[in-house]
Amino acid sequence: MTTQTLHPRVQIVWVLRAVLIAAVLTAPFAGAVYFDRLPEWVPVAAGAAFLVLGVAHALLRYRRWSYEIREDALYLDRGVVTQVRTTVPLVRIQHVDSRRGPVERGVGLASCVVYTAGSRGADVRIPGLTPEGASDLREELKRLAIRADGEDAV
Amino acid sequence: MKLAPQSVPYRALQKVSGIVVVLFFVVNNNPDWGFAAATAVGAAVVLAAFAYEVAYYRRFDYELTEDTLDISSGVISRREREIPYRRIQNVDVSRSVIQRAIGVAAVDLETAGGSSTEGSIRFVTPDEATRLQREVQRRKSAGSGGETRSEGADRAESEAGTGARPGAGAGGDRIGPDEEELFAISPGELALVGALSFDGRLIGLLAFLSSGSVPVLSSFIPDASAVALTATAIVGVGGLFLVSWVLGAGVAFTNYYGFRLSRAGDELRYERGLFRRYSGSIPTEKVQALRIADNPAKRALGYASLSIETAGYAPGQGGDQGSQAAVPIAATDRVYRLAREVESFGDPRFNRPPKRIRWRYAFRYAIVVGVLVGIAFGVDWYLGAGLPWYAPAALLLAVPPAAHLKWKHRGYWLGEDHLLARNGFWSRTVTVVPYYRIQNVIDTRTVFQRRWDVATIVADTAGSSSIAGSDAAAVDFATDEAVELRETLRERLRVAVVDRRDRRDRFEWFEGDVDGPDETGEPISEADARIGEQTTADGADGVPSESDESESEIPDDGVIRPDFAGSDRDYSEPAERVDTGDYAVDRHPSDIHREDENASGEDESGNEEDDKVSGEDEIGARESDDADSADADDAEK
Repeated sequence: MTTQTLHPRVQIVWVLRAVLIAAVLTAPFAGAVYFDRLPEWVPVAAGAAFLVLGVAHALLRYRRWSYEIREDALYLDRGVVTQVRTTVPLVRIQHVDSRRGPVERGVGLASCVVYTAGSRGADVRIPGLTPEGASDLREELKRLAIRADGEDAV
Repeated sequence: MKLAPQSVPYRALQKVSGIVVVLFFVVNNNPDWGFAAATAVGAAVVLAAFAYEVAYYRRFDYELTEDTLDISSGVISRREREIPYRRIQNVDVSRSVIQRAIGVAAVDLETAGGSSTEGSIRFVTPDEATRLQREVQRRKSAGSGGETRSEGADRAESEAGTGARPGAGAGGDRIGPDEEELFAISPGELALVGALSFDGRLIGLLAFLSSGSVPVLSSFIPDASAVALTATAIVGVGGLFLVSWVLGAGVAFTNYYGFRLSRAGDELRYERGLFRRYSGSIPTEKVQALRIADNPAKRALGYASLSIETAGYAPGQGGDQGSQAAVPIAATDRVYRLAREVESFGDPRFNRPPKRIRWRYAFRYAIVVGVLVGIAFGVDWYLGAGLPWYAPAALLLAVPPAAHLKWKHRGYWLGEDHLLARNGFWSRTVTVVPYYRIQNVIDTRTVFQRRWDVATIVADTAGSSSIAGSDAAAVDFATDEAVELRETLRERLRVAVVDRRDRRDRFEWFEGDVDGPDETGEPISEADARIGEQTTADGADGVPSESDESESEIPDDGVIRPDFAGSDRDYSEPAERVDTGDYAVDRHPSDIHREDENASGEDESGNEEDDKVSGEDEIGARESDDADSADADDAEK
């Protein structure tokens, strides 16, 4: 199977999140201006900086994100600052969720969460799928996990 | 079965002990009416607690059934819980001083799921606790015969390899396996545990508290002379270290007093504790990882410690005592021998990260030193005390050796069945992870690592202390090597799973044949041979399976599975707009469909078992074997 990328609309979700985070981070500066502790341009500059960083991060994140279902494992490649490549052997999949958050529903997307018994990266989330895609992926992973037929390792 | 009757008053008093403290204050603050009120309230509360505990006692019932441990409990909201024996990770029994005096013990059964202890039985008599522990083990091994026998065979092999102990028949007596001591702490070792234990928490706490009070303290500082100040600081820090050390020693001593680790059949048993006695059992098949830790002092003296990890403990649980079955200290070779008893890994030769990475550590430490100098300068400037703020720069001398040591103590090694990863200088940990236990493999590269073209590979297991950040990690290896390692781990896990499946199936061939598995170590070829026989027999029988397309090719392990090849589907696109290739077509109809087909396609002679062979092809060899024998029966008729 070839490497899959996410649906482009997931960028909207991430950019919205970046905007929200930028707003939260800018709030203290704005507060300081309100109490006349800082000149007025500071929150504007800070907000713009946070926004640019956040949006750039979101866009780069979309570019970096890819996943692939191979013969015996699910591969994920993601991360902008720290690149993370996760290999989830299909035998180790415990259960698979597909889920849709409110923002995701707004842009018509869904994500798929794969759980293993591992203590770290115990849940692996693949965002940016269409609702049908997410449930198909869920079903596919379920079938593959059943095929892999592992004894439980725990 | 019921709890021990003594548990009623004990539990009741345990509950109300908190209230006593409150009442004490009430009495103190209101001398005139406080006492009467306190007595009345106290009596009422005690009565209520007793009533509740009696009800609890009456409601609480546990039972060891064929394959589950059933616990029904709860006074107000009732709960029935069944824990399959196979899922039980470890059984722990603990008895505090008071519990020992009144003769009760607390039993905790851990499974891998959930966020807390799944089976908590409070309290039973010590004898009953032991019986429960043994019985759970016995029933578990009875329940999964093949599995445990294969474990036994494993161990027999490992024994033959290490020659560490005379072969005690692991497969023979299932009911009361001989308990064989693996490790008992000697007084000298116990003293050493105490001496080498240092409780850093006090220092951490004080550092935390003092960090908030620096502005307060700083107002005093200019008054005192520099000499007095330094002297006080040295005495203070020295005293702090001494207290920490004594505390650590005391805690370690009481925790590990009388530590004993033994093996009975296919489980490990441990016992320890001075005031509060802990004992418990860990099935060897549930061991997720081993951790061998030491520090410079221990290394110099030739000692190390070992902890055994299961998936049983929830995060934060048992954090104070660390891993329940941990050998606190023993001579290094003894620790390794013990570890090999549990997981037979070979003689590790660690691969170190590339030497250039030492520069990375050197830069990192130099930056830390720079920051320290900066802080010192800032403090000096703020106080105007004329202190030698550049003094921390002397630490730069320590940077190269520190970087070298950090590099030197990193490494990983790929054994035959295990990954060993080593990290840390001050507390060096060697983590032993069987490939079979790997849950996922994570490859991370931070921005800085990318500049050095290195990566970190983490082999994640279901062990519990990984949450504390001591995973089996190969840190800072060249990217190519890291990628290779990642792929190797994935591949070895796959092989291990296949191998395990083979072995499981192999042992099920011998169901009822007691001698078979005890001859042990028979290579898989035997199983293959039998599978071969079976398949030829299948062919000869000419059962309706000929109509089944997947029957034509039987994989080496004899387990026939439908082929769910990964599709090229892009899941970010809606289903309709994508060429799904084969995927959308139900190439592998479910069992129901299959059975229909068979029913229509085959003649009258086909019996149920035949259907099973062709229909439930993903279930594995056992069923087909059963079916096969049924076929044989038919033929005889």
